[in-house]
Amino acid sequence: MNPLACASGVDLIMDYLEGLLAPDVRAAIESHVAGCPRCAAFLESYRATPEILRRATAEMIPADLSESLLASLRARLG
Amino acid sequence: MAVPAPASDEELAARAAAGDGLAFEDLVRRHQDRVYGLARRLTGDEADAADVLQETFLLVHRRLSTFRGEARFATWLYRIATNAARMHHRARRRRPAESLEDYLPRFDADGRHAAMPEALRVPCHAEERLDRRILAEKARAGIERLPDGHREAFVLRDLEELDTAEVADILGIEPAAVRQRVHRARLMLRGFLSEEMGAKS
Repeated sequence: MNPLACASGVDLIMDYLEGLLAPDVRAAIESHVAGCPRCAAFLESYRATPEILRRATAEMIPADLSESLLASLRARLG
Repeated sequence: MAVPAPASDEELAARAAAGDGLAFEDLVRRHQDRVYGLARRLTGDEADAADVLQETFLLVHRRLSTFRGEARFATWLYRIATNAARMHHRARRRRPAESLEDYLPRFDADGRHAAMPEALRVPCHAEERLDRRILAEKARAGIERLPDGHREAFVLRDLEELDTAEVADILGIEPAAVRQRVHRARLMLRGFLSEEMGAKS
């Protein structure tokens, strides 16, 4: 197995997930990940990261701000 | 009788530019939630987000005559909001954010992962409120520590879920540069979350 595959594979993860890689590069990554538990775990955690952060930071506009915004814009814009 | 289709953003913008105040208010009502959410994520702070929200719509009002409709109104709006948040963020930042570079993945001399990566779990609905609040604080702290360009690309692409081309348009950079920044932000935040969420071995 290519000893540099973990590090070079990590560089390509996003392009891999978006389907932007040439078929042979894609196949090389998949075959490496299938035999490398660390890369498999890394890929899983990389995938989970955006969703964890998206959920954690989702916040509605506070009701009082929503109500006061138009009034304050009207006042500022005359 | 057919219900008339609601006016598009671009139609409302044209009417608002011609002085129709109600059309402008419709645009505000339609977009205030998303602009607030974006500002909240970019600034990390509730009060800053409220300021950026108001500033954004004041700028939109002032610049309506320059909106030509060659971009989607929403793209133009997000560009204004992102720039307003950036200005606000720079003015408010009390000390330089500590870099997240230390959280990038590490490899041994042979290019192999130096350690077994921590598993990251998307918290499920049943998690305790307290945990959710702590996680939200940690998440904001991590995002805050990204370099400005990486934070903006990551927030727009991964948190607001805009497509890469639209983010490129908003930030005025190439799509390849958006992907590069988002990827690096994910790598840093993945490492940061692993340390903050997991029992670090």
